[in-house]
Amino acid sequence: MATATVQAAIAAHRFGLGEPDLAAIGSDPQGWLLQQIGPADAQRGDALPTAADGLRRHDAYLRALRQRNTVAAGEAMADAKPFEQRFAEHFRELVQADQTARLTTAATTARPFAERLALFWANHFTVSSVKGAARGLVGAFEREAVRPFIAGPFEQLLTASTQHATMLRYLDNALSAGPNSRFVTRLARQQAEGVTPRISGLNENLAREVLELHTLGVDGGYTQADVTAFAAVLTGWRAPRLPRGDEASFFDAAWHEPGVKTVLGKRYREGPQALGEVLHDLCVHPSTARFIATKLARHFVADEPPAPLVDRLARTFRDSAGHLPALYTELVKAPEAWQPETAKLKTPEEFVISTARMLRGGDSMFTRGRDAGIGALGQPVQRAPSPAGWPDRAEEWLGPDAVWKRLEWATRVGERAGRQVDARALAASALGPRLSDSSARQIERATDGPQALTLLLMAPEFQRR
Amino acid sequence: MSARREFIGALLSGAALAPWSQLSLAGQARGNEPRLALIVLRGGLDGLTAVPLPRDEQFVAARGALAQLPSPALPLDGPYALHPALAEMHTLYGRGELLVVHATGLPYRERSHFDAQQLLESGGARPHELTSGWLGRALAANGRKGMALQTAVPLVLRGPGDIDTWAPSVLPEPSVDLVARVERMYGSDPMLAQALARARALRSDSAMAEAAPMVGGAGAGAPRAQAIALARRAGDFLSAADGPQAAVLELGGWDSHANQAQPQGALTNNLKLLDSMVASLRDALQGQHDTWSRTVVLVVTEFGREVAVNGTQGTDHGTGGAAFVLGGAVRGGRVLADWPGLAPRDRFEGRDLRITTDLRALFKSVLHDHLRVARSALDGTVLPGTSALKTLDLLRA
Repeated sequence: MATATVQAAIAAHRFGLGEPDLAAIGSDPQGWLLQQIGPADAQRGDALPTAADGLRRHDAYLRALRQRNTVAAGEAMADAKPFEQRFAEHFRELVQADQTARLTTAATTARPFAERLALFWANHFTVSSVKGAARGLVGAFEREAVRPFIAGPFEQLLTASTQHATMLRYLDNALSAGPNSRFVTRLARQQAEGVTPRISGLNENLAREVLELHTLGVDGGYTQADVTAFAAVLTGWRAPRLPRGDEASFFDAAWHEPGVKTVLGKRYREGPQALGEVLHDLCVHPSTARFIATKLARHFVADEPPAPLVDRLARTFRDSAGHLPALYTELVKAPEAWQPETAKLKTPEEFVISTARMLRGGDSMFTRGRDAGIGALGQPVQRAPSPAGWPDRAEEWLGPDAVWKRLEWATRVGERAGRQVDARALAASALGPRLSDSSARQIERATDGPQALTLLLMAPEFQRR
Repeated sequence: MSARREFIGALLSGAALAPWSQLSLAGQARGNEPRLALIVLRGGLDGLTAVPLPRDEQFVAARGALAQLPSPALPLDGPYALHPALAEMHTLYGRGELLVVHATGLPYRERSHFDAQQLLESGGARPHELTSGWLGRALAANGRKGMALQTAVPLVLRGPGDIDTWAPSVLPEPSVDLVARVERMYGSDPMLAQALARARALRSDSAMAEAAPMVGGAGAGAPRAQAIALARRAGDFLSAADGPQAAVLELGGWDSHANQAQPQGALTNNLKLLDSMVASLRDALQGQHDTWSRTVVLVVTEFGREVAVNGTQGTDHGTGGAAFVLGGAVRGGRVLADWPGLAPRDRFEGRDLRITTDLRALFKSVLHDHLRVARSALDGTVLPGTSALKTLDLLRA
């Protein structure tokens, strides 16, 4: 096992988001991590939007659109902005509030390991404002479905995610209805009168992704029939643009497919309880234990995680019925996690946040809706390109242009902050014994403060964790 | 802490700091207020390349191939000459508007860029003894504003008074020098090294040097056209009626450890760029209310370089070097040097050009004789511990 200072550096960078001074971690780095296990901090920010707020914003948009279309029918459109631009402007305030809350919390939290776990799970259960239906709702998902539940049973987290308005809209369950539901039957009668119904049956998107991305994994042992049956179970879980009071999502029996469904060989009665039962059974499935164990180990330890570690985490998952703190404890105590070699490359977001923390910039890099360049580095905040979330392997982030952009970004930070800090001292205090002689020498020999800070940010020890 | 956070935030936020944007550049200059421009050359300008002694036996012996310039050096008085890349500056010399100072430097002998630059800017005698800048303190004593043509306030301007900054804001291109340093750092990380090497191959060096019209501060290796444009901008600001009394520009990339005599190399290009910046600044100042006639431009670096050539046709960190004082207010056409000689026995520690003129005497003379900073302030807060330093005769009567 590495020395205490090496351990402190590993705790700070591999498990956390970087610290300006490793001394803050103290003599017991494992203890420093273990005592952080718990629900994530409340995000920073006043009156952050709820999912209900986001839905009301969608409602206002559609009303305005209808009114504009009515007016526009009679006269030339004065407001000829493209649809996407108008839509973006309508939601900008919410989107910026969410982004600022996420980034400033990560940049300032005293519990960076808990924050890393929150970011990990938010990526595991990806929702993205790339999709219009989820616009303005992504932060609410993080706050309402992820952050409170990262240190309980996995089942609770999975349930909160699956039933949340943002997930229901992002993966189209809000449009999915039982083909034999009362709602679809009613629409079908209208069709007889010549109106094409908006909705006529299932949308399998959420069902498939819960199985493939959230629980069993793509090779986890399910079939297309399981996907379809699970989609039928999910019908009725709605998140329309008019919340019921403050409930952004709810079960609507009129949309639910009647009858018994069979998922993975087990029969589930019709009704809202079926979703919870399926999710429970997915959580105790061995494929889920292995899938979650692999993702967790990959995120914190290595792109190709050591098999014995994955085995132990999977066993812990099964033995504890998916009790997440037990997994985190196993991970923190795993010798494989304390190898001094830095196996993982930081994502752009981790790179920028850890820079903010190292420079003690507080939340100032991210005020007023700014992402400090994370998007330019290739990882637009809360805008993952697909439900699979952001990749967790270095090769995905190591394109030449990506590395060049990191260098450009680091050059800019160097120019702007390099005269206020002593990069040599910062390198020593933030990286400790992990700072290689080679990097220390380049930083030492830099021609000036900005170049030294740029080199520190680009050092392999800072790019990796 | 919170003020500092705000500061760093402003630094990193991407917002162009443009407090002068409402400034009328065409306004009538107020009376005949003096103006100062300070150009800081970061990385250690090799004074013996900028101001060689082509007929000096010791110079030729020590510099060998590095003494061979692509074209003849431009003659100055006595044994001195200017590097051929400094043609505009040579013209100024001929007009009596450029004073060359040689064998000059700071009260510092340790050859660290960081510490030497700290002293160059703070005006202290020991690194980190003073935490604000000599020019910032002088402007505060005068009750005048200063300005930096970059996003951050450099140490030299920091002090109790008002300092503004101006810089365009788009992500800067990393300099060739920086990329080379990062590549060295990636020696033991093949993945990062390969990605960077490919990225570099995709962008030819010429593309990197190309002028992007609006790119970040004039730091190390910033594109040429932009550095020249910033110099012109500095001239515009200084010419304004309510403009700053002093403006600071900087130019990095002077750390010429290798192949420094190459005709298209970094050092030659940097000298050309400095020459163009000086010309651009002069043109801007001459164009408006003849501000040039009441301007002094100081060009300084943190240290000179070793007299002998190192193993890679460059020079390592040294001690004494060259500085330039120019402008319409300068009594130029002279070389100011108490030449110590270049023979090994005459060098500092057997290797460096010995310092015979304290750079702070230059600062002090310009501040006192040109910006008219009171002697009491100079010896008190502005350049403490320099009361024994004699001022130099730099200005026109």
